[in-house]
Amino acid sequence: MSRFIPNAPPDDRPQQIQDELEYGKLTNKKYLYVSKHAAGEPLPEPIEDEPPYYIYIATYVNYLILIIIGHIRDAFGKVFKPQDYQDLIEQNGYAPWYDGFENFYVRRLKLRIDDCFARPIHGAPGRYIKLFERRALGKGEYEFTGQSMECLNLSSYNYLGFAQSSGVCTDSALDVIDKYGTSACSPRSYVGTTDLHLETEQVIADFVGKEAAIIVSQGYGTNASLFSSLADSKCLVISDELNHASIRFGVRLSGAVVKVFKHNDMDALEFLLRQQISQGQPKTHRPWKKIIIAVEGLYSMEGNMCNLPKLIELKEKYKCYLFVDEAHSIGALGPNGRGICDYFQVSPSKIDLLMGTFTKSFGATGGYIAGSKPIIEKLRLTYITNNYSESVPPPVLAQIISSLRIIEGKLNPGEGKERLERIAFNSRYLRLGLKRLGFIVYGADDSPVIPVLLFFPAKMPVVSRVLYSMKIAVVIVGYPATPLTTSRVRLCVSSALTKEDLDYVLEKFSYVGDLAFLKYSSGIAGGSKVPGQPPRWSIKDVLEVNVEDCKKPQLP
Amino acid sequence: MAEHLLTTTVTETTTTTPTTTIPPTLELISSAIGDSFVHYLNKLDQIPGGQIILRYIRSSYKNDPVRSLFELALFIFAVHYFLSSKRKENKADIVKFSKLEIDELIKDWEPEPLVEEVNNLEKWQLSAIPKIKGWNKSHMTLYNEASGNNISSNVVNLASYDFLDLNENDNVHKAAKAEISTAGVGACGPPNFYGTQDVHVRLEEDLARFLQTEQSILYGQDFVTAGSVIPAYLKRGDLCIVDSGVNLAIQKALIVSRCNIEWYEHNDVDHLESILEELKPTLDKEPVRRRFIVTEGLFLNTGDICNLPKIVELKNKFKYRLFLDETLSIGVLGANGRGVVEHYNLSRLEISITIGTFAGSFASSGGFCAGVKPMVQHQRINSNAYTFSASLPPYSAIASSQSIKEIMNERTAAGNSKLIAQLHERTSHLYSKLTSIKTTFFKVTSNSNSPIIHISLSHQYRKALGLPAFYGNTHFLNTGKQARSLNEFSKAYNIESFLLQKIIDGVLFESNILITRSKSILDHENLPVISPQLLIMVNSGASLKELDLLAQTLEIIVNKVCKSVSNEARLLSLEDELLKYTKY
Repeated sequence: MSRFIPNAPPDDRPQQIQDELEYGKLTNKKYLYVSKHAAGEPLPEPIEDEPPYYIYIATYVNYLILIIIGHIRDAFGKVFKPQDYQDLIEQNGYAPWYDGFENFYVRRLKLRIDDCFARPIHGAPGRYIKLFERRALGKGEYEFTGQSMECLNLSSYNYLGFAQSSGVCTDSALDVIDKYGTSACSPRSYVGTTDLHLETEQVIADFVGKEAAIIVSQGYGTNASLFSSLADSKCLVISDELNHASIRFGVRLSGAVVKVFKHNDMDALEFLLRQQISQGQPKTHRPWKKIIIAVEGLYSMEGNMCNLPKLIELKEKYKCYLFVDEAHSIGALGPNGRGICDYFQVSPSKIDLLMGTFTKSFGATGGYIAGSKPIIEKLRLTYITNNYSESVPPPVLAQIISSLRIIEGKLNPGEGKERLERIAFNSRYLRLGLKRLGFIVYGADDSPVIPVLLFFPAKMPVVSRVLYSMKIAVVIVGYPATPLTTSRVRLCVSSALTKEDLDYVLEKFSYVGDLAFLKYSSGIAGGSKVPGQPPRWSIKDVLEVNVEDCKKPQLP
Repeated sequence: MAEHLLTTTVTETTTTTPTTTIPPTLELISSAIGDSFVHYLNKLDQIPGGQIILRYIRSSYKNDPVRSLFELALFIFAVHYFLSSKRKENKADIVKFSKLEIDELIKDWEPEPLVEEVNNLEKWQLSAIPKIKGWNKSHMTLYNEASGNNISSNVVNLASYDFLDLNENDNVHKAAKAEISTAGVGACGPPNFYGTQDVHVRLEEDLARFLQTEQSILYGQDFVTAGSVIPAYLKRGDLCIVDSGVNLAIQKALIVSRCNIEWYEHNDVDHLESILEELKPTLDKEPVRRRFIVTEGLFLNTGDICNLPKIVELKNKFKYRLFLDETLSIGVLGANGRGVVEHYNLSRLEISITIGTFAGSFASSGGFCAGVKPMVQHQRINSNAYTFSASLPPYSAIASSQSIKEIMNERTAAGNSKLIAQLHERTSHLYSKLTSIKTTFFKVTSNSNSPIIHISLSHQYRKALGLPAFYGNTHFLNTGKQARSLNEFSKAYNIESFLLQKIIDGVLFESNILITRSKSILDHENLPVISPQLLIMVNSGASLKELDLLAQTLEIIVNKVCKSVSNEARLLSLEDELLKYTKY
């Protein structure tokens, strides 16, 4: 037992078995699917199932109890254990680092389930993820046994299964260290531009179907610095209410005026556009210099896609610019993995700026902005990260280039296609199974992000811990990352998982669902056995027909 | 019984109201309304809990009818308040249009392009970015992007932040390769969701030990570190006193944090002290808020080193916390590379928040923040760039750990790091060579210990060329306010930069040594920008002989270029040349 993180336990299993644990072999040719939206058809409105009213009331009561107990503990703690509250009071003339109110949520709610977050791991987070065993000592302290446990990985952003420690990508990354070193050592515009950087930019631009692209060493930083180069206080940014924090931060930094529309509500967007163009800037009523609509391709907490065809229609009608953040959709959606445009069969030229990250599907890190050549050339001069921030390190570039080549079929022909069809199949298979078992699941049919709703904050640790004991690693998300009442488990599907893995997951989820009373769904979002009745299939029934049913154009 | 009581009271009201002024028809209506009101009120009786409300209304009315009315009004207001939309526009500010008028306005609206196109005058800047073929190390190959041909090989690289030449270190490579062979390249998740690997935790420990502080936290990129750390502690109403020469990352971070900002003259501790003195009486009257002094260790813009001992003395006297950006000084200053704190032989505990980068002397990637435990732990939930972005790639973490080991590994006779000593030797060697050059054209402006040597055109020469003292948001000097919109394109800044580029190209041609110049994006800088400068980044991989060669060539080239551009007209005529520039 040690308070320090132990070394990874040695693993002397043969390489073949280790590879299999990072990326499972396809067990049957039937377990493949091509994800695509029929061109011209309207996007089916995602139906969000609502649980019975008493669930909402009980959820509020749940929070109320947690908050009341938290305050009682604070009140007693401050009297009997003042040393624990040192950080919250003024000391020696210095204000505390953070005030007690700001910290209440962390101190009294999050700390109770601290063991479900930031579990340290080692090795590649592929099909299985290796979690260090640890014992909570309270107050966020742990001790480690020195052992680690392999869990099925439904938590990492590893959509296409490129988180591997062997194979073409790894070889190429190792090779690049010998030829380029480990670091880029400089911002791009000083001496941080190598031939490898320029090559990567061309490869990603070709992949997404744009003329040019610019790459950045971090996905968050890509958005956080971008908007300053696009907009100022005389411009308007219209942003979906569920946009990622990096977009919100970037827009705030730019000083542009921001208006938010209800998530994916195109009528609300059109109303806002008409109102804003006619009213102009506040007070002066001068026309806006430009209006930028910022949306995400695939929303990471909801699993919804943006309504791209409608957005393009609105953008063209109202002469706005469209920015689409493809952080989660690039690689994971579309018959060729080229993201949301590929999925909707829309020409990428209709979108002004496509942004995406290399973290999620390509097993690398960093982000890119792709656009027309004049736009990207100008950004090379005015984009903050280009002059002030580190450039992308060479091994990451090697990973990006090789994984993109595999997806395109230029390297290891056939492998990329299989990865794409596996994620499409796996996403639908798991989603339909969960729906039929009776869980409330958000998002589009083809989305590899599957949020399973728990509602009660107290059920988050239950699900996380029970599944952990069954060797399944999942991510739980609650307030403030989601609205107060909709705490959830977020599953990220990967090509690395086999159909048998998913069967295991469904079986265990069914058990947890019964144990923690999670099967709330009413059936309006599909999955019912008998139309009109809430779906409560037995696990046996689900597995019997799931392979065929999940390949139907619309999930039954 | 309840019904009976209420009916009597209500009929009483209708009859006791001054009937003389109300016509009989109105009276009828009002009594009808009263009756139906009573009827619905009585229905309350049947709802669970309704009796309580009924009893309350009855008792309160008996005592004071005005109070009942007042309560009703309050109730209606509350309902109205909750039902009305939260984000309400100022109604008076909205002009009413018909649908047709809106369509007309939309038709008329002509938006500006998403970004302006690169204008011809700044196009040269794109081709002035050197493109490296292969390894970015102390001796490298440059090539031309358009033709693909090599321009020159074995170029001495004095333009990179890899001061210690660790990007060529075999041990760092070995460690990184071993990690990629076990964990792949990316971390595939944010730190709080299975993105924390053993190597990340270990690097945090290694770094905290190296910096001699309690804890540290890693960031995925250097630029976002300041922008995420500062807003986690400085909120509206908090106060910070900031050096007016800080880099762009801090400027942006301060804008986002919305705290109150006071600026002191760059590196002028007397001015800092006078501000602190001035603020003290007002601050003493208020409850204690978070207060920071914000400065850089080694300044990106000027190459100055902050007067840390005095700042520490002041911050202790006036009870401020100190935020120190060691992005450029870490792994560079101090006998063991522990930054400006070690340079002045102070204790790291004096610094409340230290931020820095691994992408410089550590030859890896990412940023960090270090300090006391409660400060660091607060960031794990409350810092944007930490919670909302993927972790650093694991191999980067181990490369940084290894770099720290390399720095501490070989020791000099005095027990200090040999790597750092080598760098210091080269820095002071080149610095003394450059300062001994007698010229009227340029001046070495950076601190003698700074491995980034700043050379700017001399005051008198710039005056002869008619160049302004400052660029960008010059009104800051008068108002003390940061710029609100982007700065305009500056022709003078552009052409002065081009003049420096001519020197850089000349030096490269003559001696095969690449130096660089400051490349501030004028649009974004909120503070006044000083004249563009030549930058020489000393590298341990370059020999003393090569540095000597640089000093010699630089003198010759600067004299040659500056003599040919001796007045404003000649400077402006450079514009023809820059239109044709295609170097890299």
